[in-house]
Amino acid sequence: MKQAGKRLFELVLFLFILSFISFVFMKAAPGDPVRYMLNIDDVSITDEQVEELRNELGFNEPLYVQYWNWLIRFFQFDLGESYMTKQPVLQELINKVPSTLALTFSSMAVMMLIAAPIGTLAALYKNKWIDHLSRIFALIGASVPSFWLGLLFMQLFSVKLGILPAMGKGTFLHLLLPSLTLGIAMAAVYVRLLRSSLLESLGQDFIKSARARGLSQKRIFFFHAFRHSLTPVITIFGVSLGSLLGGTVIIEVLFAYPGVGKLVVEAIVRRDYPVIQGYILFMGLFVVMINLLVDLSYRYLNPEIRLRGGDKG
Amino acid sequence: MINRLRTTNSVILLMGLFLIAIIIAPFIAPFDPNQVNMANRLKPVSLEHFLGTDHLGRDVFSRILAGAQTTVGTSFLVLAISLLLGVPIGLVSGYIGGRLDRILMRVVDAFMAFPDYIAAIILSGLLGPGIFNLIFAIVMVKWVGYARLARSTVLTEKQKDYILIAKVNGVGSMNILRRHMIPHVLGNVMVLATLDAGKIILMIASLSYIGLGAQPPTPEWGAMLNEAKAFFYNAPHLMLIPGLAIMVIVLIFNLFGDYLRDYYDVKNQNGGR
Amino acid sequence: MSVLTISNLTIKHREETLVQNIRLSINEGDWLALVGESGSGKSVTSSSIGGLLPRELIISSGSIHLGGVNLSSLKEKEWRTYRGKAISYIFQDYQGAFTPFMSIGAQFDEMLKTHLNDSKQLRKSRALECLNNVNLPAERVYKSYPFQLSGGQLQRAAIAMATILKPKLLIADEPTTALDSITAAHVLQLLAEQQKQTNCAVLFITHDLRHVRKFANKMAVMRKGEIVESGMTTAVLKHPKHAYTKALIAAIPSLKQTKERLVTI
Repeated sequence: MKQAGKRLFELVLFLFILSFISFVFMKAAPGDPVRYMLNIDDVSITDEQVEELRNELGFNEPLYVQYWNWLIRFFQFDLGESYMTKQPVLQELINKVPSTLALTFSSMAVMMLIAAPIGTLAALYKNKWIDHLSRIFALIGASVPSFWLGLLFMQLFSVKLGILPAMGKGTFLHLLLPSLTLGIAMAAVYVRLLRSSLLESLGQDFIKSARARGLSQKRIFFFHAFRHSLTPVITIFGVSLGSLLGGTVIIEVLFAYPGVGKLVVEAIVRRDYPVIQGYILFMGLFVVMINLLVDLSYRYLNPEIRLRGGDKG
Repeated sequence: MINRLRTTNSVILLMGLFLIAIIIAPFIAPFDPNQVNMANRLKPVSLEHFLGTDHLGRDVFSRILAGAQTTVGTSFLVLAISLLLGVPIGLVSGYIGGRLDRILMRVVDAFMAFPDYIAAIILSGLLGPGIFNLIFAIVMVKWVGYARLARSTVLTEKQKDYILIAKVNGVGSMNILRRHMIPHVLGNVMVLATLDAGKIILMIASLSYIGLGAQPPTPEWGAMLNEAKAFFYNAPHLMLIPGLAIMVIVLIFNLFGDYLRDYYDVKNQNGGR
Repeated sequence: MSVLTISNLTIKHREETLVQNIRLSINEGDWLALVGESGSGKSVTSSSIGGLLPRELIISSGSIHLGGVNLSSLKEKEWRTYRGKAISYIFQDYQGAFTPFMSIGAQFDEMLKTHLNDSKQLRKSRALECLNNVNLPAERVYKSYPFQLSGGQLQRAAIAMATILKPKLLIADEPTTALDSITAAHVLQLLAEQQKQTNCAVLFITHDLRHVRKFANKMAVMRKGEIVESGMTTAVLKHPKHAYTKALIAAIPSLKQTKERLVTI
C-alpha cells in the first residue's frame, strides 16, 4: 500500500506540474481562443464582443488569480465547457470514454491472444523454428509504426478484400481493425518477454520438485511455471502503459474512431483548452487505476505481498 | 540469420552505411524534394521517378531521402538535448545525494508516473503544431530516463572500492566525476540512447502523422503518410514507401541497440522506459 | 530384495562423459550413501533415476531398474506413475521444494490428486497426518505458504510429502547442505524414522562423511563420474581401499583432534 500511496503522490505531483505547464502554455500559446470561439459562430466580430467574452471567461484577471481559480475547479472536476461544442467537458469525456476503453481492452485481448500462445511455444521449443519466428516477429513488431500497419490493414481488409469497415465506430467489426493494429504492435514486446520469463520460471528449482512429485507436464506448466512468469510481464505492462495509451490516440485518429484520443487531437488543433485539460485529468485517473490493478494482481500472484503487506517488485 | 548479424560486426557496418546514406542524401536526390509539378501528379513508379510522384507532382524518392534527414536528424537532436539535460542532472543528483537528490528524484518520478507518449502529445499540442515544439515536447518526457540512468550508474559506482580509494587518496570530487564516473555513465547512456532512437523516430513519425509535428511541405515520413492518406484509393504506393522507410531505419537502430546492449551487457536500469 | 539396480550407466553431455559405467544396487530398508566432491556426478546420477535429467544430458548406455521395470525406457507420460509414488525426492534447496505462491496444503492436495482417487476430505486428513508425523503443527503448516516457514520446517514438510505415498525409493539429494548443523541433524533423524516406518530404500547423496557414518549402512564413493569404492559403511570407513576415499576420510574435521590439519585431496 505504501508503494501505491507513493505512486499516487507522484501522480498528483505530476498532474500539478502538468496543470501548471498547460496553464502557462494556454496563456502564452499563439492563437487567441476567444477569437477561435467567436469565429465558429461565424459572425462579424467586433472588439467589444471579444472584450465581453474575455471578461466572461475571466481572461482579464491577473494570471495567478486565473490559475488559482482554474486549479480549484480542476480538482473539483469542474472542467468547464468546450470552446467548440459549448458542451460541458465532463459530458464530452463521458460520451467518448467507453469507446476508448472498448478499444483499449480489445487491443489488450488481441495482444494476449497473440503473445500468450507464441511466447509459450517459443519458450517450449527454444531455438526451434517457432522461436526464431517469434524473434523476427518481435523485431519487426517493435520497428513498424502502428499507424502505418493500420493503413496497410485498411488497404488490405477494406479496400482490396472489402470485408471490414475502415473507418468510424458502431459495430463490433469497426473495432476489429483498430484493435488488431494496436494489439499486434503491442504483442511484439510481450512475446519475447513472456518467452524469457517462462524460460526463467521453467529453470526454477520448484519446477524440478513438482516434476519429481509426478505432476503432469500440463499442470506444471500452467499452474506453476506460467503463473510464476506473469509477475515480470505485468510489471512491464504497468510501465509500458504509456505506449498503449499513446497508441490509442494515434489509432483513433487513423481509423476516425470517436474516442477520447481523437477528441483531444481535435481539441489540440483547435486550441480547445478545457477539453485538453479534461483529457489530462482523465488520463491521470486512468493511470492511477491501472497502477492499482497492477498492484492488486501482484497481490494475487504473490501471496507474500498479500499476507505481509510488504512491497516487492 | 539474426544471430549471425549480432555476432559479426555487420550491424555496425549497416548502421554506418545508413548514416552515411542519410548524410549524403541531398546530393544523390534526383529532384528538389519540394519542387511542385502539377502536370506530373500521382505518377506511378517509372525510370525517371523511381518511387513515383505525389499529389503535387513531387518526386517521392527525393522526398524520402530528404525525409530521412528530417526524421533521423530530429531524433538525434532530441537525443542530444535529452542527454545534455538529463545526464548532468543525474550525475550531480547521484554524486551529491542528500536533499537535492531527493527533490530531483521526486520530480523525475513524477514525470515518469505519466505515460510518456500521452505527455508528449499533450505538450506538443499545447505548444502548437511544429517540429521544434515537437522536439521540445519529446525532450521533456525523455530527459528523465537519462537522469535516472546516470544517477543509478553513479550510485552503483560510488560503492565500488576504487572510488573509495581515490577519495581516501585525496582525489577531488570534480576529478572523480570526470575521470571515473563519466566514462561509466556514458557507456550505459549510449546503449539506452541507441535503444531509444528507434522509439523516438516512431514517436516523431506518429505525432507528425496526426498533424502535431512536422508540417507540410516539410518532407518528413510521418507527415508524408498523412498527406498520402487522402490518396488512399488512387495511389496506395504513396503510403507504402514512407512507412517502409520508417520501419527499416527503426529496425536498424533496434538491431544496433540490441547489439550494443549485449556488448556492454547493460541491464535496463531506468524502469523500462 | 533389490529395489533399485543401476547397471553400466553412462550419461553424456554432448561429447563429455559425466557419469561412466556406474553400477549400484539398493535393497529394501537400505540406506545407501553416495559420497563425493561436487561435480563428481552424484546429482546427475540421482536425477537420472527419476528421469529428471535436463534435456541436454543423455543416457548413452546402461539401464536403471526399479523392481522389474526398466526406468530408462519410460515415456514421459508413463513416468507419472513412478515419480512421486514409487520414487520420491528431497532436494538440497528447501526454498525450491515448494512452489512459492501455493500453500503447502494445496501442493499436498495437488500431488495426492495426481496419484490417488481419494475424496477431498481423505486427501486432507492424509496430508495432515503426514505433517503430524514429521513433528510439524499440521493445521498451521497446511494453510501456510512456503515463505511463512523456516528452512527446517520446509525440509520436514518436504520429507512428509516425499514419504506420504510410501515410495519404494527415497532419493535425498544433499538434503541438509543448506541447513545449519543442528537443524540438519534433526532432519536426518526424522528421515531415519520415516524410513523405519515405511521400510523404503534411501539413496542419500552427500559429501558429509559424519552423516554417512551415523545413518547409512552402505556407501559408495564417486569421483569424476565413476564409482571408485563401495560396500558396507563400517567396512569402507575403517578400511578404505582407494586413495580418494582415504583422502576424504582424512578430511573430516574431527572433534577429537586438537590441532587443525589441512589435507589436500
